[in-house]
Amino acid sequence: MILDPLQQLGRKGLAFFGRLGRAHLFLMQTLTGVPGLLLRPGLVIRQLYSVGVLTLLIILVSGLFVGMVLGLQGYNTLVDFGAEESLGVVVALSLVRELGPVVSALLFAGRAGSALTAEIGLMKATEQLSGMEMMAVDPMRRIVAPRFVAGFLSMPLLAAIFSIVGVYGGYFVGVGLLGIDDGAFWSQMQAKVDLSDDVYNGVIKSFVFGFVAVWIAVFEGYDTVPTSEGVSRATTRTVVHTALAVLGLDFVLTALMFGD
Amino acid sequence: MENTMRETDRNGQEAVVQVRGLCFARGERMIFDGVDLDIERGKVSAIMGPSGTGKTTLLKLIGGQLRPEAGTIVVDGENVHELATRELYSLRQRMGMMFQSGALLTDLDVYANVAFPIREHTDLPESLVRHLVLMKLQAVGLRGAAGLMPSELSGGMARRVAMARAIALDPMIVLYDEPFTGQDPISMGILVKLIRELNDALGLTSIVVSHDVQETAAIADYAYLLSDGKVVDQGTPETLWKSASDWSQQFLNGEPDGPVAFHYPAGRFRDDLMQGGRAR
Ligand SMILES: Nc1ncnc2c1ncn2[C@@H]1O[C@H](COP(=O)(O)OP(=O)(O)O)[C@@H](O)[C@H]1O
Ligand SMILES: [Mg+2]
Repeated sequence: MILDPLQQLGRKGLAFFGRLGRAHLFLMQTLTGVPGLLLRPGLVIRQLYSVGVLTLLIILVSGLFVGMVLGLQGYNTLVDFGAEESLGVVVALSLVRELGPVVSALLFAGRAGSALTAEIGLMKATEQLSGMEMMAVDPMRRIVAPRFVAGFLSMPLLAAIFSIVGVYGGYFVGVGLLGIDDGAFWSQMQAKVDLSDDVYNGVIKSFVFGFVAVWIAVFEGYDTVPTSEGVSRATTRTVVHTALAVLGLDFVLTALMFGD
Repeated sequence: MENTMRETDRNGQEAVVQVRGLCFARGERMIFDGVDLDIERGKVSAIMGPSGTGKTTLLKLIGGQLRPEAGTIVVDGENVHELATRELYSLRQRMGMMFQSGALLTDLDVYANVAFPIREHTDLPESLVRHLVLMKLQAVGLRGAAGLMPSELSGGMARRVAMARAIALDPMIVLYDEPFTGQDPISMGILVKLIRELNDALGLTSIVVSHDVQETAAIADYAYLLSDGKVVDQGTPETLWKSASDWSQQFLNGEPDGPVAFHYPAGRFRDDLMQGGRAR
């Protein structure tokens, strides 16, 4: 009787590591399919549309609101120190270093990642992937690789757009509503936001998050148990796993980049 | 083996697909346990058996999507499971498969579905692709449906589109997985007729996997009966019906009881009743 929980634990552990191994093999196979896409850019462009452009609206709206909230909160804190002119710096740094990459990765998982998983999972459940294989078309190259590349490329762009819109949101609240000096807002931001320390690091983060988010999404789709229940579970897992992976990685990356 | 020799001699034809000593397991369960099959060129061969015997699995083994535990499958002179990926893919271009579900690409319309293998594997100009696609769709009677999406098709139409797609690259062999299941009598009649006609007109070799005995027997030149991982009977449809095997008689005539018992294995009915509570 005492063995039962232990056995369960062992089985779960084995299943977990088995899956992790499959995910890495899958990544290798996906990456070998990437060079071939240079000959067929159309495949990637179509996916860039469905992955990137469709996520754009939610990124724009969320970016604006996050920026406005930052503007309000930042102002309330800074005004106690008489430093409300630095609002631009606070808003820009929060967005570029953290909120831009992290929040857009989370939104990406919810909008595009779950859609990718569901799409690929349904293709598997309805034997479309199997059918392709029988037509001598490799679904890794034809279906997975273009989606992977599109997700990887669109993520940093989405994060950048998020940050830019956010800064304008903060500007609208700080300068437009609360009456901070227009020139001070921009000039302080210009002086204090460093290109290599802040912007580049933010871009690196967004590349890493994009890579992980789209990897999880396409893998969960491809590894789906091919039933409707399996697809819905895989979709949920994509969102949950991406969120955990992004937040965990964010801590690690932040420690490495800004730790000293 | 002797069986093959005799077959080959009888018709002076070689087998396009040769299955020898095929064993395949799913987990603990043996799906195939020493299966031998010969599919002759130019013929419609039927593989029949109850649901869950592994008919779909057999087609996937022939197409090289699954790997057998033991035994060989030779298609057109090539041992499927010894081929490198590239060679396997080139062999698959000579095979068309119609999946039970149709497996049409749901984001493409009928025209693009049939064009899909042509576009993937050739560099033909679009005008030629169009000719080919319309020709295949005409053959299955669905040229008028070229603009429809798969979700707008009836089950029978979806299978005909899948059929058109399976023959898009003018394959040598076409594999049909349960082409008749769940069809109304008219679509059934159309599919039966199409399989036979396409086979003869295009010089194909067709393998029809099915549990619809009457329809399949009507078009098959030769049939195999599968059960419990083994070939239990084979022959032309006429000879099968005269078969002495009880199992074949039960299966072919659809009798509810026989070697395959009506009752799922259970303890004594009396014991269950006497327990009063739930049966275990
Ligand atoms: N992916 C799979 N994993 C485990 N078992 C499977 C899988 N696919 C099929 N099976 C099992 O293999 C057996 C044969 O399946 P299948 O070839 O689909 O039968 P048929 O097509 O003759 O109805 C069934 O018992 C089924 O439960
Ligand atoms: Mg089947």
